Amino acid sequence: MSPPRWRRYLRFWRSDIRADVDDELAFHVDERVDELVARGMAPAAAREEAIRRFGDMPGVKNTLRRMAQQHETKMTRAEMFGVLKQDFRYALRTLRAAPAATAAIILTLALGIGATTAIYSVVHTVLLRPMPYANSDRLMMVFERVGQGRGSASPGHLTDWTEKTSSFEAVSAFVGRTFTLTDGDPTRTFGALVTPSFFQTGYIKPLAGRYFLPSETSAERIVVLSYPLWQSRFAGDTAIVGRVITLNGEQHTVIGIAPKAYTLTPQDEMLWTILPFRPEDRSDYGQHFITTFALLKPGVTMAQAQADLERVTEDIRRRHPDQMENRGVQLASFNEIFLNTASTQLWVLFAAVTLVLLIGCGNVASLLLARAATRRKEIAIRSALGGGRRRLLAQLLTESAVLAAFGGLASLVVAQLGIMFLVGTGPSWVPRLREASLNLPVLLFAVLLTLACGLLFGLAPALRVTRMNLQGELREGGRGGSVVRDRVRALLSVTQMAVALVLLVSAGLFLRSAERLTRVPLGFEAHDVTMMRVALPALRYPAASAVEGAFGRMLDAVRAIPGVSAAAGGTRVPMWGGSMDIGVRVDGKATTPANNVGHVRLVTPGYTEILGIPLKAGRALRESDMQAGAPLVVVVNETFARNVLGENPLGQRISGWTSADKPVWREVVGVVGDVRAFGRENVAPPEIFFPWAQKPDSAWNAFQRSVTILAQTRGDAVVAPSLRKAVASVDPLVPLWDVQTMDDVLAQAGATRRFNTMLLSLLGATGLILAAIGIYGVIAYFVTQRTREIGLRVALGATSPAVVRLVVRQAALLAVTGIVIGGLASAWVTRVLGTMLFEVSARDPLAYAAAAAVLLVVALTAAWLPARRAALVDPVRALGAAG
Amino acid sequence: MKTELLHGTLDVMILKVLSWGPMHGYGVGERIEQLGGDALRIEEGSLYPALYRLERKGWIDAEWGLSEKNRRARYYSLTPAGRRAFKSSVSTWGSFAYAVGRVLNAAHAPVRA
Repeated sequence: MSPPRWRRYLRFWRSDIRADVDDELAFHVDERVDELVARGMAPAAAREEAIRRFGDMPGVKNTLRRMAQQHETKMTRAEMFGVLKQDFRYALRTLRAAPAATAAIILTLALGIGATTAIYSVVHTVLLRPMPYANSDRLMMVFERVGQGRGSASPGHLTDWTEKTSSFEAVSAFVGRTFTLTDGDPTRTFGALVTPSFFQTGYIKPLAGRYFLPSETSAERIVVLSYPLWQSRFAGDTAIVGRVITLNGEQHTVIGIAPKAYTLTPQDEMLWTILPFRPEDRSDYGQHFITTFALLKPGVTMAQAQADLERVTEDIRRRHPDQMENRGVQLASFNEIFLNTASTQLWVLFAAVTLVLLIGCGNVASLLLARAATRRKEIAIRSALGGGRRRLLAQLLTESAVLAAFGGLASLVVAQLGIMFLVGTGPSWVPRLREASLNLPVLLFAVLLTLACGLLFGLAPALRVTRMNLQGELREGGRGGSVVRDRVRALLSVTQMAVALVLLVSAGLFLRSAERLTRVPLGFEAHDVTMMRVALPALRYPAASAVEGAFGRMLDAVRAIPGVSAAAGGTRVPMWGGSMDIGVRVDGKATTPANNVGHVRLVTPGYTEILGIPLKAGRALRESDMQAGAPLVVVVNETFARNVLGENPLGQRISGWTSADKPVWREVVGVVGDVRAFGRENVAPPEIFFPWAQKPDSAWNAFQRSVTILAQTRGDAVVAPSLRKAVASVDPLVPLWDVQTMDDVLAQAGATRRFNTMLLSLLGATGLILAAIGIYGVIAYFVTQRTREIGLRVALGATSPAVVRLVVRQAALLAVTGIVIGGLASAWVTRVLGTMLFEVSARDPLAYAAAAAVLLVVALTAAWLPARRAALVDPVRALGAAG
Repeated sequence: MKTELLHGTLDVMILKVLSWGPMHGYGVGERIEQLGGDALRIEEGSLYPALYRLERKGWIDAEWGLSEKNRRARYYSLTPAGRRAFKSSVSTWGSFAYAVGRVLNAAHAPVRA
């Protein structure tokens, strides 16, 4: 049976394996039939015999079909590969033929993709990776709600939350403390007192040894070391587990070492011991210093847990109404709290760098469009010679892909440099910043980004070229579609400038913010002030008199240093360290302590003077206040006076931080100016200054017997070494740490903001330059295209300035359109910056106006060069040219 | 082992036949039977898989053509690579056949050396 005729025509389009196999075997059968018939068999029997000889005919056909299919696939693949290789080689040749343009494109891509990848690496490491603890999605923090804000918890709250709720697998407490290590060089290090459940709420398998058992208490005197401390001080030797070290003068046994992942920033705690908890602490609802973590039970929602906590807190309110006025409880996710600040900043940076990349891609697309235009004759010929549109498109896309690939490879170098820069100069409080690197997810991102860019800028010129009127190109002087091409490039340029404006406005807003911030008065003037922190071990200085005696002698020794004009001490210094707040009763007023909050500072006379805090009423503290038996006095600041004392603060009496219910009245003798103790962005807190000789009973315990000694220096005297000697002369075993000048501290305080502003300005400037290059290209092309027209105008009497005006008008049109669109986009986009700006609205007119002005000037400058060229056009040559 | 031997045997004979010129599948089978005699009956079910295998290896090429009786048939021909493979197969086969013959014609068991 010969194959039906129509099947032959099918084979013209594509191979028909089924039919081929059938036909081949049919031929064989036919031949066999002929042979058998010739030997004398009947035709029907012959056919039967012929087929029988194949055995399992359908089976054989299937096998053959399968084999043929495999063969076909192999052939097609080889052919495709061959075509690809050809395209690749051709693309390389073309790119090498225009080295300047190719280099420019690869450079732009390398910088753009590299910078974006670098910032993505940080975003990924800090924000996108889950926290290293087991069950970190269930890790929560619990705060006391204080008015509208959040505050630390009291031991009583902690107890009730731990024992009376049913929503948590574990609740733990964390209190930061500094410790002195005295085996070897005495050093101070930051550590934490925690409940044993701390390692349950946030669990990572210990590197060595074990963590605290639930039954263990501070009586055990055991400590867990952090990885960095173990490496730096104990040489990374696991033999330290089981040995004894001296903390704050007391022997502690090392029971375990935490893995590296526990230390998220260099300022994190370096060791953990158990929080001492006395029976009476269970009912202390008045001192708030505990940071609380909690692990939700699986299946319990945050809403349910919040309700549970509120129920317990209501019970506390019933039992202690005066402690709970205006206070409540607030549950929050750990991730949200921890990453909140970093999150906004990083995403803003990421968005900014992506915008710069977009502008860069615009330039690349523009360049490719220009090149495609110059190659239109070549493409037209190839097309006429039979290259189908699909093949042409494939060829052009291969070129874009090769460009993108080279750009992508080069971008890895830029990315690595970028990561090193960000990790090196980035603010140290960003969690896990040091872990950013070119790891697998980041590389994957770089690859995807490269692909996306390649597609983005490759598709447009490719489609444009292949859709051209090829007939028109082949005719002599073909100039088809130049107006349309102009429009696309012009549109690109306008978009670039709009995006650049968004970047400039953002940078401008940040700069305005920074400037506003520097104008905020800190409330104190402390130049030429050197400070150091000193702490006395409780073991050797148990009594308050011993503590004050030692500090007093140290202050005297400091005053004796030549170059020091005055010295004073205080438990905390503004802008440098936290504080403790207490609630006070006011004599004669019915207000409750919970509402009368003030931050406590124990100071010596001279403290406010050295820091330059102005006196507003009454008097400052004096030496006589430090004598035994002197009347109890305090000095407060304006905010405290306003909030708590009302009018006529002087002479009123307050009592706070008393253990018994018997008030200890202290007279307010002075009011000093407000100080922005927590940074320029934050409002000045209410403050109470106690002469430290008159401190409340357990104060030195609460402040860990640690003070900051301030030394006012004359002129340029550098006194740091002398300060150490002065302290050592009183007690050589006492370490001091953090010797800095106030100017240093202030400089550090603004570090993060400065970093952000610097990066955004850098990105803004880069975007601006790229957009300028873009508009230069467009205007240059415009001039080239209009050479004849310009020549005509000049021949007809147009002057040089008129020609320049013509060109510049084009540029101005593009720039202004870009600015308008960019302005609208900025107004919409900068809303997200709200929290990062200080006293500057996202629509600040000055920032917008400045950005627009800068962009306009730069755009016109970029257009000036081609404009000059236009003015020099020789009309004879221009008109005579064959176009 | 047996299938390998058979495969190899059939393959090399097909290559030999095709070394005389292009031929369709039926013709290849007939020629082998003519030369080898009744002892060498080629199963249709193994002939065509062998041809397809050799085509996949790139040793033979296939093209549609017209037979003497004006029927459409698929003609196979040797490729240069196939020619080279054929030459080496023949010599291997020769040594193999000789070695088997020596074993089978041995008068007595070999002396342990």
